[in-house]
Amino acid sequence: MAAAAAPVEVDSGNGVLQRKQSIYKSMDESFEIQKEMYRGQQYSQIYFARLHLMRTLLYSLLPTWKPHLPICTVLGLEEGKECIIVGTLYKHMKLKPSILDEYSKERSASPLVKPHNFVHSDDYLVLEDESGRVKLRGSLLLPSVYVTGIVVALHGKETGAGDFVVEDILEAGLPHQIELPLNSGEDKYVVFISGLSVGSSSANPLHFQLFVDHITGHLGDEKEQGIAAQIVQVVVAGNSVEFPRGLLNGQNLGSKDQSRLSEPIKELDILLTQIAAGIALDIMPGTSDPANFSLPQQPLHKCLFPGSAAYNTFRSCTNPHSFELDNVRFLGTSGQNIDDLAKYSDAKSKLEFMERTLRWRHLAPTAPNTLGCYPFTDRDPFFIEKCPHVYFVGNQEKYESSLIKGSDGQVVRLICIPRFAETGTAVVLNLRNLECHALSFGTQFSS
Amino acid sequence: MSATGNPRKRQQPPTPATPSPQLKHQAAMEEEELDEDVFLEETLLQYEEEDSQRRALADRLAKWKRPALSPSLLSQSQNIVFQQLEIDYVIGDSHKEFLPSSSGPAAIIRIFGVTREGHSVCSLVHGFEPYFYISCPPGMGPDDISHFHQILEGRMREANRNSKVPKFVRRIELVQRRSIMYYQQQSSQPFLKIVVALPTMVTSCRGILDRGIQIDGLGMKSFMTYESNVLFALRFMIDCNIVGGNWIEVPHGKYKKTARNLSYCQLEFDCLFSDLISHVPEGEFSKMAPFRILSFDIECAGRKGLFPEPTHDPVIQVANLVTLQGEDQPFVRNVMTLKSCAPIVGVDVMSFDTEKEVLLAWRDFIREVDPDIIIGYNICKFDLPYLIQRAEVLGIAEFPILGRIRNSRVRVKDTTFSSRQYGTRESKEVTVEGRLQFDLLQAMQREHKLSSYSLNSVSAHFLNEQKEDVHHSIISDLQNGNSETRRRLAVYCLKDAYLPQRLLDKLMFVYNYVEMARVTGVPISFLLSRGQSIKVLSQLLRKAKQKNLVIPNVKQAGSEQGTYEGATVLEARAGFYEKPIATLDFASLYPSIMMAYNLCYCTLVTPEDARKLNLPPECVNKTPSGETFVKSNLQKGILPEILEELLAARKRAKADLKEAKDPLEKAVLDGRQLALKISANSVYGFTGATIGQLPCLEISSSVTSYGRQMIEHTKKLVEDKFTVLGGYEHNAEVIYGDTDSVMVQFGVSSVEEAMNLGREAADYISGTFIKPIKLEFEKVYYPYLLISKKRYAGLYWTNPKKFDKMDTKGIETVRRDNCLLVKNLVTECLNKILIERDIPGAVQYVKNTISDLLMNRMDLSLLVITKGLTKTGDDYEVKAAHVELAERMRKRDAATAPNVGDRVPYVIIKAAKGAKAYERSEDPIYVLENNIPIDPHYYLENQISKPLLRIFEPILKNASKELLQGSHTRSISISTPSNSGIMKFAKKQLTCIGCKALISNSDHTLCSHCKGREAELYCKSVANVSELEELFGRLWTQCQECQGSLHQDVLCTSRDCPIFYRRKKAQKDMAEAKLQLDRWNF
Repeated sequence: MAAAAAPVEVDSGNGVLQRKQSIYKSMDESFEIQKEMYRGQQYSQIYFARLHLMRTLLYSLLPTWKPHLPICTVLGLEEGKECIIVGTLYKHMKLKPSILDEYSKERSASPLVKPHNFVHSDDYLVLEDESGRVKLRGSLLLPSVYVTGIVVALHGKETGAGDFVVEDILEAGLPHQIELPLNSGEDKYVVFISGLSVGSSSANPLHFQLFVDHITGHLGDEKEQGIAAQIVQVVVAGNSVEFPRGLLNGQNLGSKDQSRLSEPIKELDILLTQIAAGIALDIMPGTSDPANFSLPQQPLHKCLFPGSAAYNTFRSCTNPHSFELDNVRFLGTSGQNIDDLAKYSDAKSKLEFMERTLRWRHLAPTAPNTLGCYPFTDRDPFFIEKCPHVYFVGNQEKYESSLIKGSDGQVVRLICIPRFAETGTAVVLNLRNLECHALSFGTQFSS
Repeated sequence: MSATGNPRKRQQPPTPATPSPQLKHQAAMEEEELDEDVFLEETLLQYEEEDSQRRALADRLAKWKRPALSPSLLSQSQNIVFQQLEIDYVIGDSHKEFLPSSSGPAAIIRIFGVTREGHSVCSLVHGFEPYFYISCPPGMGPDDISHFHQILEGRMREANRNSKVPKFVRRIELVQRRSIMYYQQQSSQPFLKIVVALPTMVTSCRGILDRGIQIDGLGMKSFMTYESNVLFALRFMIDCNIVGGNWIEVPHGKYKKTARNLSYCQLEFDCLFSDLISHVPEGEFSKMAPFRILSFDIECAGRKGLFPEPTHDPVIQVANLVTLQGEDQPFVRNVMTLKSCAPIVGVDVMSFDTEKEVLLAWRDFIREVDPDIIIGYNICKFDLPYLIQRAEVLGIAEFPILGRIRNSRVRVKDTTFSSRQYGTRESKEVTVEGRLQFDLLQAMQREHKLSSYSLNSVSAHFLNEQKEDVHHSIISDLQNGNSETRRRLAVYCLKDAYLPQRLLDKLMFVYNYVEMARVTGVPISFLLSRGQSIKVLSQLLRKAKQKNLVIPNVKQAGSEQGTYEGATVLEARAGFYEKPIATLDFASLYPSIMMAYNLCYCTLVTPEDARKLNLPPECVNKTPSGETFVKSNLQKGILPEILEELLAARKRAKADLKEAKDPLEKAVLDGRQLALKISANSVYGFTGATIGQLPCLEISSSVTSYGRQMIEHTKKLVEDKFTVLGGYEHNAEVIYGDTDSVMVQFGVSSVEEAMNLGREAADYISGTFIKPIKLEFEKVYYPYLLISKKRYAGLYWTNPKKFDKMDTKGIETVRRDNCLLVKNLVTECLNKILIERDIPGAVQYVKNTISDLLMNRMDLSLLVITKGLTKTGDDYEVKAAHVELAERMRKRDAATAPNVGDRVPYVIIKAAKGAKAYERSEDPIYVLENNIPIDPHYYLENQISKPLLRIFEPILKNASKELLQGSHTRSISISTPSNSGIMKFAKKQLTCIGCKALISNSDHTLCSHCKGREAELYCKSVANVSELEELFGRLWTQCQECQGSLHQDVLCTSRDCPIFYRRKKAQKDMAEAKLQLDRWNF
């Protein structure tokens, strides 16, 4: 289903600039759970579906990887015999918080300082398939890098103690990518923004207004307006509003509280209406938005946006969100998948986490283990079937970006979108060459 | 020691072990230490032929054999040094070589143990004879004695007609001894030591002497016997200076390999008792031998709705783990299964086609791996008897040879253990000769006060780990599935076998029990199967022997001897103290009193003697309870001496502990100091146990009376000295005192000042006491909530910088019949009051909780009350909620209804007015599934009001009115049951989500009136879903974590698990919330 952005004229002193257009195709279908029901299913099924999917894939890679080795199941392991096993990794973590801690007998005198990262040097990995589990050893497989839920193929052998010593690892690797369309020589821009946090104390309404004015071409000279006219798409990647959660405790609200609740949403709607009037706008839900908690998060309800929803340029999307723009494929989330990896594993940068998810070919391996997720019964929507050209993650501390290349010639632009309320920064991507830069807004008042 | 019939009987097919009523007399094990003789068998059972299949199994088992003997051991040219674990005795022919002069049956002591190299040892010790004492009637000469001997021999022969013993009373010796009772001026008196042929004859001979015996010239005379109630094995240990679990050395040349191996031990030899060298457990000999510890668990396929019974239900799996003492990983992990089972990594899975093969494989395994200690959870009452009874039902006569003695079958015996401290407990006794049994359940029940003793809650408590619990109705389904489902079961079974081992390690049971045995001198097996008094008796006997004293066998006086006044408790001045309260504690008060005032059996002066002896007043102490004891310059008491040694040894152990670096050595020392402390404290109890071995209320009542006096004295001194007049800033006030501590409010406002004054007071007052009574300053409570006597809470400070913990007493929370809500509420309130110092916050919290309860927003798992179903409904005299519920559930579905032995969880639901509480109990799952309303008022009135008022009354005025009747109790919401009569006729209609008005058009979510609030109302709906999703995810992934598998569904039905009901509820709520949200269709 393609929806064209309404042609909107951009103000200009010397005439009329025409806003560029591009072809949009939504790929969110697999993230929708409208028809799904909670019927008492558990999480084993999504793991099973994932294992099945990934194993088929990994098996197909084995002949080129290590054709001479036999393939075993965890149960079929024989002591000292070299083989390949394929299964889901499980990381045993000492510091992992558990809901059972709520029931622990004694409270320590000082409240526990919540660490933002639960990695510990005693952590170890286990490989599990339907038949059983085996503890993994070996210096090659670093527990701090891997997390629960990834499916990999391992080369190694069982020791007498019942451990499996890993000698080599095969990850699924980057998926196949459709070829990047030949560029028409035309610059077209996509703007990413996240963490608007309207209603929170850290948000500066002026910054957001500046942003809106800028991209709609109400600011700057002709040149800047010219660039603004080349913006074909805006993506709002989560955490657009923030309101006191304490109000939503099931009790009836007084009228004052009712307005405290609806005020930020109204404000957001007004600003989004200004954008949607000119540019195509995708809005994704995030952790702080009035949406469900588990991934995939369902689109924000249109009743929240009486103003902007009236435009056909306004699209409320799922999180994760996937779409094509002039045949350039986008995939992104509001940040939960990467934030969770950062809690349960280590990396030098957020971009590294992003790259890992692509190589593991799974958008959110820690779901459902530590990341809330719908208990799917027959599929795993987080499996990355096709390699995107642009992979973005919202609500990060700072703007980061890189271009990675796969072994099959895949090229992927990785983008960490910073929280706008704190940084005043949005990100602009050129559809023509996947080049990318930050767009910052600041205000200074001299007193 | 197992009872055996005559040898011929054994070859017949065994009859099912029905508990014989006459065994009931064992109820009084504590009072009457009876020896039972075990006869060695003449004929050895022939070995059944091994077929090829068995041989294959044998090969598999052989790799776990013990290390092979060294040449010097084989050639008997080396001393044998071993740590003994079990000592018992059998009756056999006296050894021709070692004892050339005697003949006929004699008692042979068997010592089982392990050498440093890990060889198993069975030492047969000859020549030790049973004996006891009587006081020699005055004027009895050597001729009279031999005449007396003849008469006694004659009476014995009459009493034991069936016995073929050539001589019953071996000899009677005239010895000089003194009774331990009462102070006596002369140092000794003549006693007769009567040596009999067999241990059981001690009892029979004592009976004869008790009843009276006709002696020429003296007429009918009955005798008081001395030390006639000492178990033979213990007698042997005392006389040879052997203490439980110590090292024994037998020099080479002094032992001789047995002609015919009677046991499966690697080293089996005969020796003479006088050749044994018993090592004091110090230095090298304080270590532990590498025992083999077997931890096992069985699974049985029960029938639907019934607890497994050996007469019907097969044993389907046995999981085993064997660990060497001191190592942290088991070296054997295996599981024996009935029918095929898919392999498990790191575990040896052995599958068999018939149950007989499973049982025999297990027997072979035991024999091959030869464990020294067998542990498990509830193995004494369930697993072991079940296996044995099952083998009887199946007619596998050769199964129960599990002990170390070749031809000896293990039998099941019903016993009742009763003791004042532990109460009466029915149990089954299975003696596996030469192997120590250690049932973790029994140990837990003895050592720890817990709200539940299920393996699940015990491991949650100590290991911080939830155990997956597979309901026994599912076990049969798993067994009847395929090899994968049986594997599932096997993994579960293995875990159950592993947890006892981990508990054993975590709680250092091996170290603590061995040390306790070493300190008190009793065999390790006594520690679990007997009460406290045997431990004190053992020490008393040892000490008395050194001092040439003998201990009379006092007739059971029963409880008529009356009680005496107990410890004193100073009036508690209830209140909430916001100034630091210093606590002055008497260090080991009762032992110190006994030492300070030389209180003992042998220093007690009877009122008559006091008059007769005319002792100078400076030589005696008159206790506040009116008894007279001589001071130590006249006669040093042996109880004080024992106590001094215990406390000195504890000091030493503690000092060594500080020095020690090796963690294993530390564990030994810590176990020792703990054992010493417990032992010192149990001496007082021993003298006060009216149905004990040697009660002496004169001592115990003197101890408590001194204690009372000291508390009063302390209070007086503190309040006299620490006054404004005395130059201090404030007047000190004693606000409470209990048994051995006094709480003082010095009036100062900082913890540091209170600590200084506390120390000063302790030193000052200690100076006024006789040594070693000492008042110590240990801690400050600040703030302190004193509710009433024995009930208080406060923050516990031992340094002025930071408090150590929150200490509560008597306010719990841990009681089983309370629901979790009470515990949480009380804990949270105390936290707010004491730590956060936020009383209004605590009040608000209570109000919110009560409001949540009334508004039906409470997590159901917090409301579940659990009670054990100990017998069937008809046996209960009064109707009880959980029993009635169990009956009702049986009518609903017999398969899942709780059985005798299960714990029944229930909640109290709303019912017709006037319904009894027992009619209102309901299964929480049923309540969840059918939306049945709970009765918030029951919880308010019967569960939370009392504990809350206790806490708040010292703090708040009108606590009850404020907390329980405020405006927060006005709004009530009750869910509508989905299954009750009237609801079946009701028609469901959609209502507006905003105002609950009916809407006719089913496409709409809101009524026209609420349309404007769409955004806000949607936020509320979605927030509810969001919250539930988060909870759902956390709960269900936690259960995956516990069960240790991601790809399999969670089966666990552990009702002990705190999240079990929450998980169920989250699942159900989630489905409903999702449907509700979907009404806002896009």
